[in-house]
Formats: sequence, C-alpha cells, structure tokens
Amino acid sequence: MTLSLPVVLGVGAIMFGLGVYGALTQTNAIRVLMCIELVLNSVNINLVAFSRFTADQALGQIFAVFVMTVAAAEAAVGLAIILMIARRKTQIDIDQINLLKW
Amino acid sequence: MTVTDWVFLAIALVTLFSAYRVVTTHKIMHAALWLGLTFVGVAGIFLLLGADFLAAAQVLVYVGAITTIIIFGIMLSSVEDLRGESFDNVWKRLSSRLTSSRRGIWPLLAAVGLAAAMVIVVSRGQWPASPHAPALDTPRLLGEALFTRFVIPFEAASIVLLVALIGAIALALKEERTE
Repeated sequence: MTLSLPVVLGVGAIMFGLGVYGALTQTNAIRVLMCIELVLNSVNINLVAFSRFTADQALGQIFAVFVMTVAAAEAAVGLAIILMIARRKTQIDIDQINLLKW
Repeated sequence: MTVTDWVFLAIALVTLFSAYRVVTTHKIMHAALWLGLTFVGVAGIFLLLGADFLAAAQVLVYVGAITTIIIFGIMLSSVEDLRGESFDNVWKRLSSRLTSSRRGIWPLLAAVGLAAAMVIVVSRGQWPASPHAPALDTPRLLGEALFTRFVIPFEAASIVLLVALIGAIALALKEERTE
C-alpha cells in the first residue's frame, strides 16, 4: 500500500472539521479568516489527491489553482475589511460588530 | 509500509497538529505562525502526491503571501486581542466554553459530525487502489491545460484577482481620505 486515497481524504476531512470548528467558535475576525484558510487548504488536499488517482491529472490540480486564487483574493479583501472595522471600532470581535453602518 | 508512507504519516501528523494549534492556541500571533506551518505541511502533501508545481505555488502564495498578510492584519488591528483569553486554568476554560452557547457544544458537534460523515463516506466508498503514474512535468501539463481547455476560467480568475486588488486598496484607503 503506497499512499492510498482514503488516507489522504481522511487527513483532508479532519483538517476540514478543525477549520469549521474554529470558524464557528472563534470571536476574533482574523482568527476566523485563518480557519477559513484551513478549510480551503483541506479542500485543496482532496482535489490534488483525486487528481493523482484519476487518468486526467490536470483537472484536479487546475481546480486547486483556482481555489488558491480565490483564497488569495478572499484573504486580501477580508483583511482590508477587518482593518477598516478595526480603525473605526477599535476592536474586531465579531460578536460586537452588529451594525451595517456607523 | 514503504518510505513514502512513513513520510506521509509524519507530514500529515505535523499538518494536523499545527491545524489544531491554529484553532486552540491563545495568542493570535502564535496561531498565525502555526498556520504557516500548516501551509508548509500541505505543500509537503502536494509534493508526495506528485503535484510539484502546486507545492511550489502553495509555498509562494500561502506561506509567503497569505501568512505575511495575516500577520500584517494582526499587527495593524487591535492590540488587546493579541493576548487572547486570560484563563490559565484548563478546567475553568473548558467549563466556560461548554456553558456558553456561542462557543459550546453545538459548534463542536457540527464540526465533529461533518468530519465524521466525510470519514464514513470515504471509508465506505470504492476507490481506485493504485495511483496512476505521476505526470513528469506538471508545469507543462497545467500550462497547456490552462491556456487551451480552461482559458475562460483562467481569464475570469485574473479578473477576480484584479477586482480583489482594487477593492482591497479602495477599502484600505477610504478612511485616510475622509480624515
């Protein structure tokens, strides 16, 4: 047995669970962003694993490239929004951010 | 077990442990550094799966750019969040977690349930037993596919990146202009 597919998928699933738990429980907005990055990375692991075990190896890897692109865009825009909120409210606790406009 | 299995096991354990520390460590700066280690581990898994271009891109984009941008975000935002919770006692922290509805048992159940469902589905499925032969030059493979079959998604992704770039600059600059 060399690197079977279910083992890699299991690693991805556990990492996904960790990311979901963090995104649900953390109150710091930056920490929530980090946990979302964990979730996106675990999805990438799954995509690359599937691409290794199918005949057309380019498919899964290209999907992973697009996931990476969207994750970079999400991190940039998310952190810009968090910085703007931090400047106005002097805190980034997501339980306290409850106004659409102030 | 072959050498590849042992290496994969080690990298997977490091990745999962650092992902766990991202969620549980107190100081948010430590969480950012653990996140960087997680990204390195994921790059190692990519390497073992034969996706060497993706591993390089992972190191460049995630370890190089996203970890740095997150650390910048932490340092530019509020200071009092750096330290995190102040409970030193493990049991006090645990009980305060479990009694609150926001951080209590329901998120734990949701996350564990989701992961368990995925593991069950994966373990019951019929999977191809042996991997195909790894593609020798993944950069050429990916480049040819990106510029022939996937050229429209490729252009859409570049527009997404451009919009995100402009949007991030506009969001970060707006406050200074009005002040």
